[in-house]
Amino acid sequence: MSEQARDAVGDYRYGFHDPEHATIRFDKGLSEQVVRDISALKNEPEWMTEVRVKAYHHFNERPMPKWGNCSELNNIKFDDVTYFLRSSKQTEKNWDDVPEDIKNTFNRLGIPEAEQKWLGGVTAQYESEAVYHSIREDLEAQGVIFLDMDSGLKQYPDIVKTYFGTVVPYSDNKFAALNTAVWSGGSFIYVPKGVHVEMPVQAYFRINAKNMGQFERTLIIADEGSSIHYVEGCTAPTYSTDSLHSAVVELIAMKGAKIRYSTVQNWSSNVYNLVTKRGVAYENSTIEWVDGNIGSKLTMKYPSVLLRGEGAHAEVISVAYAGEGQHQDAGAKVHHLAPNTTSNILSKSISKNGGRSSYRGMLQVTPKASGCRSKIVCDALLLDEHSRSDTYPTMEVGNSTADLEHEASVSKISGDQLFYLMSRGFSEKEAMGLIVNGFFEPFTRELPMEYAVELNKLLELEMEGSIG
Amino acid sequence: MKYADMAPPPRSEHLWRYTPWHWMHPSDIEIIPDALPIRFEAQEPVDMNTNICVASSSNEYARVFLHEVAKSSTIVSSSKDNELMNLYAVASGHVACSHLHFNIKHSVTILLHLSGEADWCGLHITSKIAKNLNVSFAIVNELSNTTTYLECQDWDIAQDSSVEFAGITLGGFRTKSDIRSNLNGRGANMTQAISTHGIGQRHSDHHIEIHHVEPHTTSSLSAHSACDDESHLVTTGLLTIARHANRSDAGQVFRNLLLSPKARAESLPELEVLADDVSAAHGAASAPVDENQMHYMMSRGFSPAEASSLIVEGFLTAAFGEIKNPSIIDAVRTRLTVHLECHIKR
Repeated sequence: MSEQARDAVGDYRYGFHDPEHATIRFDKGLSEQVVRDISALKNEPEWMTEVRVKAYHHFNERPMPKWGNCSELNNIKFDDVTYFLRSSKQTEKNWDDVPEDIKNTFNRLGIPEAEQKWLGGVTAQYESEAVYHSIREDLEAQGVIFLDMDSGLKQYPDIVKTYFGTVVPYSDNKFAALNTAVWSGGSFIYVPKGVHVEMPVQAYFRINAKNMGQFERTLIIADEGSSIHYVEGCTAPTYSTDSLHSAVVELIAMKGAKIRYSTVQNWSSNVYNLVTKRGVAYENSTIEWVDGNIGSKLTMKYPSVLLRGEGAHAEVISVAYAGEGQHQDAGAKVHHLAPNTTSNILSKSISKNGGRSSYRGMLQVTPKASGCRSKIVCDALLLDEHSRSDTYPTMEVGNSTADLEHEASVSKISGDQLFYLMSRGFSEKEAMGLIVNGFFEPFTRELPMEYAVELNKLLELEMEGSIG
Repeated sequence: MKYADMAPPPRSEHLWRYTPWHWMHPSDIEIIPDALPIRFEAQEPVDMNTNICVASSSNEYARVFLHEVAKSSTIVSSSKDNELMNLYAVASGHVACSHLHFNIKHSVTILLHLSGEADWCGLHITSKIAKNLNVSFAIVNELSNTTTYLECQDWDIAQDSSVEFAGITLGGFRTKSDIRSNLNGRGANMTQAISTHGIGQRHSDHHIEIHHVEPHTTSSLSAHSACDDESHLVTTGLLTIARHANRSDAGQVFRNLLLSPKARAESLPELEVLADDVSAAHGAASAPVDENQMHYMMSRGFSPAEASSLIVEGFLTAAFGEIKNPSIIDAVRTRLTVHLECHIKR
């Protein structure tokens, strides 16, 4: 790595990139023909092509959001983005068959090792499509379907047609429309009735090329009484030009089912991360979003849950770290649409070196949703005078029996805590690192051990230079 | 900026999300209506000048509109320390509108009682508070239950001055209050308490902004809304702490008491913090009447309606817990008790 490149990458350890060996690369820019070409290339059924085209037109007509970080949003140059890039001819089931350079990338990211040790299945997506995919045989035998989304559409078109776009329709927002028009890759999971997937399944998303757009689409259906834990990780090289990641994730938890969706987002600081994540929870089911945002230039992501069945429960734990030049606009939305539904939202953020973190949330109780309970807690730490923290919560209550609480606080690291730790022999840097790790502990304890350890290391790296 | 040159605010702005502008305009939104001035009277003599033209310095949509409708201003000036001003504002006719400016150079207490049968009432209150003053201000809205009421308030508070603000909304069919305070000097303080009783089909929307512009400023806001019948009560807040306003201490609490299945409440307590050495917190809660409290009251002989009314009175009065001025507390408690006795459901 040259000195110049090293300077650009800084502490971001995943900022390396490999030489690009695309088998198919579309020209930059978006048109109806590009959308049709992506669909044709994948031999999709006609209904999907039509949905894509409708979404494309909606994307063109829909104005940019007039809220949030409008100036950054308006800097996105949609015509400079490559909307489809295929790096491997097919999705391999055997790791040895994956092209060497891509395999090296994922080896450096530790994916094969993790799979052997503690995962029930893995999808590795490189640029636009999955390059490797596997699932444990015992899960397959129980009827669990875990595929990349393109294969899911080919092999289970009826299930995909039934559920695709039902939770996040293309008309939901501009970026959901963009994703629906050009989606490629992502995961498709179906867990049959009563099956509990004990080991987490993981998807790893990697952008390698410059000015690349990654638009994966994930659909997870947990049938009655089943459960699954899905983990996703994301990294990209550091370039001087910007990349765009605009995913859509749809979760459907049937009666009594449980889905936990964990994310550790660590995009490089040249990636716009504009993601729509939403789940529908039916009777007595649970949806949990465990969402960590460390990287990216601008993240706008508000995992949401529609509590549609009586007794359904939503849990959102969200942490954000905003460093230099970063704006983490994250939050959570919970809509209580049925009686006796409950939700908990915990949001924690740290802003440092001029970074900005925002919590943007929505808690809605509709008139039919009697006996609902919800609690939201937002804590923010500001580590220096150049940084910024915002809280934009909304509570809409349409039922008189609802019991809702929201509390938020913004502060700097307590001098008392620092003093206490330093009086016991820690250096100021170590003490600060411990306090930050403790601050994020409610998030890390919900992650699989390996992810939690990795996250703590990442935070330590990010915290370097915070003192003095 | 002229009203005619401005585009109506979109509903994507949270200030107008729940109360769109066309709800608050007395007629067609392109029209500047003819208005009668609101009649101001004082219980004791005060230094009051009317029909004075004051140029508007605001480019905010509702403020520009009120300025053009009101045409002239009423200026009330303080004349001595510890003065108690009991002001009565009566809005009559189809459209009534005024600009009321407080020129405050002494520590004073101002009680403003707003009443009247006007179909539409607009009031813009402005004040610049000089250094080292203690000012207490209360506004009691007892307009007719059919009146649409648009209110804007702008308070600039200088160094080491302290303002206690109490607002209670007991009247109006549709009300929108936009109250903004700037803590412009070190040591400036704003203690704000707002209570709203939602009955019938009342739609009441309070937007409260507090801006900590300078270091060592403090603020607290407590907004309590009791939502009964088919009322819709909205409270939005924006608390900002500027980049260099270190050692500021700010807190806001929004509470909604839900009394009826058809009542609705919205709370948006927003916080923007750009300084690191501050203490800033906010909270919001919505809940029905506590069954244990009802049981306790009824076991002591109160009917359910009386018990509920007492709980509502206690809830709305609790918003004023941080207000120290006894004249203000007496005034709001008295008006609240009278109002609740009139509306108790037997």
